[in-house]
Amino acid sequence: MKQPTGQISRLGTFKYLAQRFAFLSLIGLTFALMLIGKADTVIVERVSMAVSDAVTPILRVMAEPAASISKFVTNVQELGAIREQNTDLREINARLLEWQAVAQKLENENRQLRALLGTVNEPEARAVSARVVADYGGAFAQSVLITAGGRDGVAKGQAVVTGEGLTGRVAQAGYRSARVLLITDINSRIPVRVGEAGDRAILTGNNSPRPRLIFLGVKSAISPGDRVVTSGDAGAFPPGLPVGRVVVADESSALIEPFVSRDRLQYVEVLDFGLTGFLADTDGPQ
Amino acid sequence: MTEITQRRTTWKKLDARVRTILPFSLTVTVLLFGMTPTYVPGLAQITPMYTLVAVYFWAIYRPDLLGYGLGFAIGVLEDLLTGAPLGVGTLVLLLIQWVVFNQHKFFHAKPFVITWFAFGLVAFGAVLLKWVGVGLVSSSGPTPFGDVFASYLITVAVYPIIAWLFSKVRSGLLDEP
Repeated sequence: MKQPTGQISRLGTFKYLAQRFAFLSLIGLTFALMLIGKADTVIVERVSMAVSDAVTPILRVMAEPAASISKFVTNVQELGAIREQNTDLREINARLLEWQAVAQKLENENRQLRALLGTVNEPEARAVSARVVADYGGAFAQSVLITAGGRDGVAKGQAVVTGEGLTGRVAQAGYRSARVLLITDINSRIPVRVGEAGDRAILTGNNSPRPRLIFLGVKSAISPGDRVVTSGDAGAFPPGLPVGRVVVADESSALIEPFVSRDRLQYVEVLDFGLTGFLADTDGPQ
Repeated sequence: MTEITQRRTTWKKLDARVRTILPFSLTVTVLLFGMTPTYVPGLAQITPMYTLVAVYFWAIYRPDLLGYGLGFAIGVLEDLLTGAPLGVGTLVLLLIQWVVFNQHKFFHAKPFVITWFAFGLVAFGAVLLKWVGVGLVSSSGPTPFGDVFASYLITVAVYPIIAWLFSKVRSGLLDEP
């Protein structure tokens, strides 16, 4: 099929111009998006959670094979080490039974002392279990998507934990899904206490697996191995949730190894203590 | 008789329509695939950036089916889903398309190794730009570059796999006479 060359070149020029125009206007739109993302996080959050809500059912199905394979691999691994594990567990069990006796004694004592002092009991947490269906962001952001949202009572700012300890906090809550900002994310700031002295610090994520401690007051002797727990300051989280252990401590900084590993997250619990701290309203994930 | 032919043409139209959105839907699929948890220790940190691969591939082989508009849509979707600063990933994808579209002669009909090598260069620029962009836009400063670089290396390493899958789809479903 032959067409007059003039028409082709005119068509070509038109197409080229249209494409160029599309490119430039979309680049402009991109910069506008960056500004909106910086300025108005509420709209961005709403849209973002609507998108997450929409893809959650798909992700739920897609996460299934990986979860099954992982389960199978773990089973096989455990089968190999079952004898050793058994001996270990027996030892641990004996040790824990001793601890249980101590804990019971302390709990009784605690209750009696509380009754003497007339302290008000801490609020009981309402927990919602959810599955992790997506691990977002790779190297640039550290958050996961869970299968519980507003309809289950999940709201922004709530603490997210596993059996091991604090995982993160709800950064955005949609209807049937929520985004959890992990404590390792660069935007994560958690008030904590360190070691037996209970030094106050802010645990600051930096997108690496080991978040950093920034001390608020005078730092007493902190050494590797010290436990880090939430302080409950600013009403963000309930106090005493285990967070991690100090691995590197020198003059200027301290790094911690969280108890919860991002790679093994399958099920988490969202805790609602009825606290509405400052984290609920300020610093979004943007 | 006419009804049958009519129905047949409707099916044909639908079929053609589905084929034209294949590059876009495949790109979204690999984007979602990249987000599913693998439970492999250390991998979440350095997940490959699948959209870079997909957008680059279709920009070379079927620029008519994945133009700037859809590239923009994929970028926004990814930024919204990953919680990365909005717009930065979008900008990076658009620039990849711009580079490939403008150097079409260089990228078109080249041996695989050259395309792969070129991807290494383009992706490095893209990752560097994203790293700077995310560092500038986010209020908490730059992300450690080590993990980003590892993620870049893995992205280049998975390129042949994704490209092979996509070229199967392309030769099987899209480039029919």
